Amino acid sequence: MSWVITLKGKKRILAESLLTLLFLGVIIWSIPVSYAQVPKGPWVDEVVFSVETDEAKTVDMLLKNEIQVYFRDIRDPKLFEKIKASPDLWYVTSYGLYFELTFNPVGPEFPATGKLNPFSVPRIREAMNYLVDRKYICDEIMAGMAVPKYTVLTPAFPDYARYADVVKEIEKEYSYNFEKAREIITEEMIKLGAELRDGKWYYKGEPVTIIFIIRVEDQRRAIGDYVASQLEKLGFTVDRQYKTSREAAPIWIRGNPADGKWHIYTGGWIVTAVSRDDADTFGFYYTPRAGLGPLWSAYKPAPEFDYVAGKLWTRDFRTIEERNDLMKKALTLSMKDSVRVWLVNQIAPWPARKEVSLTYDLAAGFSGARLWPYTIRYVDKVGGTIKIASTDLLVDPINPVAGSDWIYDAMFYRALSDPALIPDPFTGLYWPQRVKKVEVFVEKGLPVGVTLDWVSLKFIDEITVPTDAWYDWDPVKQEIIYAPPGTKAKTKTIVYYDDNLFNIKFHDGSKLSIADIVFAYILTFDRAKPESPVFDESYIPAFEAFREYFKGFKIVSTSPLVIEYYSDQLYLDAEWIAWAAAMAFYPEYLYGPAPWHMVTIGWLAESENKLAFSADKAESLKVEWMSYVAGPSIPILAEYLDKAIREKFIPYKNVLGKYVTEAEVLERYNNLKKWYEAKGHFLIGNGPFYLDKVDPTARIVVLKANREFIDPADKWLKFSKPMIPEVKITAVPTIVPGLPAEITISVTFEGKPYGKADMSYIKYMITSPTATLTGAAEAVADGKWVIKLKSEETSLLSAGAVSIDVIAVSKLVGMPVLASGTAIVMSETEYLMSELAKAKADYEVKVSELKTGLEKKIAELSAKIDEMGGVIGVATTAIYVGVIAIILSIVAIILQILMRRFK
Amino acid sequence: MFAGILKYILKRSIILFLTVVVAVYITIWIANMGGYVDEIVKSDILLSVSQSIRQNPAFKGLNETQITKIINEVYNNELKKIGFDKPFIYRSFIYLKDAITLNLGRALFLSSDSGSKNVRIIILERLPNTVLLFTTTQMILFFIGLFFGLFLSRRYGSFLDRLSVLLAPLSSLPGWFYGIFLILIFASLFRLWFGWGLPYGGMVDAPPPIDKVAYALSVLKHMILPVLSWLISYSFINVYVRRTFFLMFSSEDYVEFAKAKGLPDSLIQRRYILRPTLPPIVTDFSLTLIGSWMGAIITERVFNWPGIGSLFYAASVMFDTPVLVGLVVIYAYLLAATVFALEFVYVILDPRIRTGGA
Repeated sequence: MSWVITLKGKKRILAESLLTLLFLGVIIWSIPVSYAQVPKGPWVDEVVFSVETDEAKTVDMLLKNEIQVYFRDIRDPKLFEKIKASPDLWYVTSYGLYFELTFNPVGPEFPATGKLNPFSVPRIREAMNYLVDRKYICDEIMAGMAVPKYTVLTPAFPDYARYADVVKEIEKEYSYNFEKAREIITEEMIKLGAELRDGKWYYKGEPVTIIFIIRVEDQRRAIGDYVASQLEKLGFTVDRQYKTSREAAPIWIRGNPADGKWHIYTGGWIVTAVSRDDADTFGFYYTPRAGLGPLWSAYKPAPEFDYVAGKLWTRDFRTIEERNDLMKKALTLSMKDSVRVWLVNQIAPWPARKEVSLTYDLAAGFSGARLWPYTIRYVDKVGGTIKIASTDLLVDPINPVAGSDWIYDAMFYRALSDPALIPDPFTGLYWPQRVKKVEVFVEKGLPVGVTLDWVSLKFIDEITVPTDAWYDWDPVKQEIIYAPPGTKAKTKTIVYYDDNLFNIKFHDGSKLSIADIVFAYILTFDRAKPESPVFDESYIPAFEAFREYFKGFKIVSTSPLVIEYYSDQLYLDAEWIAWAAAMAFYPEYLYGPAPWHMVTIGWLAESENKLAFSADKAESLKVEWMSYVAGPSIPILAEYLDKAIREKFIPYKNVLGKYVTEAEVLERYNNLKKWYEAKGHFLIGNGPFYLDKVDPTARIVVLKANREFIDPADKWLKFSKPMIPEVKITAVPTIVPGLPAEITISVTFEGKPYGKADMSYIKYMITSPTATLTGAAEAVADGKWVIKLKSEETSLLSAGAVSIDVIAVSKLVGMPVLASGTAIVMSETEYLMSELAKAKADYEVKVSELKTGLEKKIAELSAKIDEMGGVIGVATTAIYVGVIAIILSIVAIILQILMRRFK
Repeated sequence: MFAGILKYILKRSIILFLTVVVAVYITIWIANMGGYVDEIVKSDILLSVSQSIRQNPAFKGLNETQITKIINEVYNNELKKIGFDKPFIYRSFIYLKDAITLNLGRALFLSSDSGSKNVRIIILERLPNTVLLFTTTQMILFFIGLFFGLFLSRRYGSFLDRLSVLLAPLSSLPGWFYGIFLILIFASLFRLWFGWGLPYGGMVDAPPPIDKVAYALSVLKHMILPVLSWLISYSFINVYVRRTFFLMFSSEDYVEFAKAKGLPDSLIQRRYILRPTLPPIVTDFSLTLIGSWMGAIITERVFNWPGIGSLFYAASVMFDTPVLVGLVVIYAYLLAATVFALEFVYVILDPRIRTGGA
């Protein structure tokens, strides 16, 4: 029997095992992918870039799953509709492109032609704001792919959020009003000596003709036509000159505006990253400060505006409050000046397949988001290949020192490197990637603030650069120059890098080391020294700007790495000051990853005039512009790698020799050689992807996952989607002048309350004919904010409907969210009457209810009585019967007695 | 006689060379709009330099003088880089020298796919792609025209002949036009109906196959639709033209005479029709071959084929004169050389033709 028992036991064990496995299977299956299998490095195994220039074809390829993401925005409204309608696609929007009207400010008569230029008068330019219906342009011309733009500030950027209340006021003030435009322009034209005859303006006997340069490549053609029609309605004769960018540029940007060859030009501008500080924007667009040539020289802003713009241009303010005042003034004055009338901000959609998720940038979409390599993934699985199309690729040679700066190249070479700090794609602030913490010290009284807790900010009286801090480089003696005694700086930044920084490996297996940082320091100076073999004249302007600010650099500790950085460069955010310090000599240069041994082979080639890092130097030497990925540079670099191995070459040996051993040097070069032999190129970094293959002929780039990467893939997952708050005005009471009032606002994200700590502020603007109330709402709970109006505030409002505009700004997303509603304001009498009426109505209702109740009760009582009536009848009958029975009984008793007596 | 031929060759060479020089120099002027392109390029550079400096956080906070200085320095560097610090008239002769010596110089803005600014490399990287696609297509078209033309000329009035005449107007629409429809059907709708389809464009699958045979097959797969689009567009007219051409020669007196003599058809065809028509056929073939090396701008863009046509387009849009001149001068040299060679080929092919020196 024992074997039977054993068999039963085995069966049981088998059964139990199966059940356990099944159970575990169910559990594992039920765990979301993101928690179950988080790989090191990126989520996907491979990313393939290719070129497709035709938007329509690209959208079809997305729909058929031939590609999964398009690294370019869609401009065609019909295709956008197709994307929106497809259940297989999703899209994000960016705000990097905007259109405006540029005016020629010379006049009132052009010196060259004697013709009238009405737009030399600021008031006429200002009136143009009323003449154009921006909503019409957005809805009809841009087919919904734009939002109105009234001021120079971009809606998605922090400065717009900071001054959103002022901007909203401007938007109300300058909203479309054709008659007002006509009135002002007529008045000013008459002052200029023009006369209106039969609906046409004449000046010195000739029709006033506006030469309007209309760009033809995009919707500006239709916008130009619309504005021209509006001007014609006012009586101007418009000479519509349709031109491409290149045809127009020599006329409007380089031509002398005094020649009178144009009056208006349909301008377009682009921004490629979320800007945290647009203080200089007024100086650039409205004053001669930008130094862009004859047109800019012709700008003559009003003295007050010029003063304000000048202060903002040089950031000549000591506090944030002072800056706020200047910015608000500049906003208002820029509308009075209006050498530019802003029209629309294009909303550019970037499409992708639904099953793919990745981070995007509010200014630059998918391709400009620094985080895309860290977050790109299939939502339902780990691994796989994602195919990305773009309109161009491999535009210019790629090298980290002065290679291609095209976004079509940067979008993939950025995936190969891993910076110390990563920009937040939604706020423009920086987050630490290879840094533990940063301490920023700023001279007292300078306008710097801090938002994130990984940076500490302290204000101190004075910052003196220590004399052992590195200050410069001597290319002749090949030694570091230290800071002169008494050198002062406006900021001092101490960067504490991660403990495991030097465990990070480059793709060829070499470990990141202090030598990478020291090499970067020396190279920064050496390229600007005429005595150096890698001197590059074209680098001088950028170096001069750096030299203007740079005050010192000190390596405090190498294990872990701690550095001090001294500078005069100021940013409003301490996070940006931290970024400038942490990235100053980090082995990720402006144009790609830069381990010292990789850069050195290029350095050798340039020093012997065989190749050059920059296009300018390549041109002057008549050699190839250096490319680390393909082309004629590759065999030359290979030759210099061999030379470096043969000579065990250490660049700047006097200094760098102290930070590397000969063995390390050889190991690095040999690692690179192996890499080159395997992959055929020299571009290595330490990022989440490595460059596996480049096919220049077919213009295809293949990136593969770097599974040696130090971080798990989910590190930056929270940046997959911006937490743009959804704001609604939920409860609006009747406002009574003189009485306090409360308006409730709900703030949610995907239906859940938005944390009040994650919100920067909610500002409101209540507009009535008599007053405009502005202020900040108060958070009462997560997702619930209240506008509290005091009695003295409500007393300013006149009776009638008032509009409520709310501007909510989150700390997590730079873009402000707007919501609006309407409230009713009643006068006190009306209110009393209304209250009386209400009380009367209440009373009547109550009386009516009482009456109804009583009637009901009466009816019930009657019914009861009726019921009772029946009962009484029965009872009466019974009584009667009883009485009769009693009588009969009595009679019977009497008869019985009598009978007995008779018996 | 030999001296006469030599003299003739020399004279013809000089004339052709001068023609090339004049043609190239005219191209340089046209490509630069007589120097106006300088203004356009300078405006573009100024705008892009100032924009990039303004948006660069490293330059934030510098005062007006410093910013202006930096903008000017960078701007001047950019002009110097592309040689625009010298007047156009001077540069035009540099371009001419580079072109005529086939040095070709350096591109102003474009880079080759592998990252070189050398115009020769830029062109040479694209040339094989164009030759692969368009020379193949032109060869197919040429032989289709030749054989079917001859075939139909002998069957004048037959059903096939009438059909070819009927279909000839199909060529009124360019190849790229059919290309769009072919993409729609074979790339888009096929994927919808059958779950697979031919490529939308490009030259090879992405990621490119590692195995060389698989790579070559992938390239062939990508060639199907562009080749087909041209075949649909140009086959019928080619056949029609050749047929008419052969018909004209078939009615010559000497052909009629040969027929009357009772010579066999194949002999008549070979000796009396093909032989005298060879010079124009060879001329046509040579010029078509050279023409195919220039690619086809729109077809390459529709099929996203990285050839000379799309390079020509990019160079025109960007006003990259050295690249444009490079493309034109290669074509001019090839054309001149072909014209020169053809004169001798004619002599060999047609005994009636004699060189001027004879």
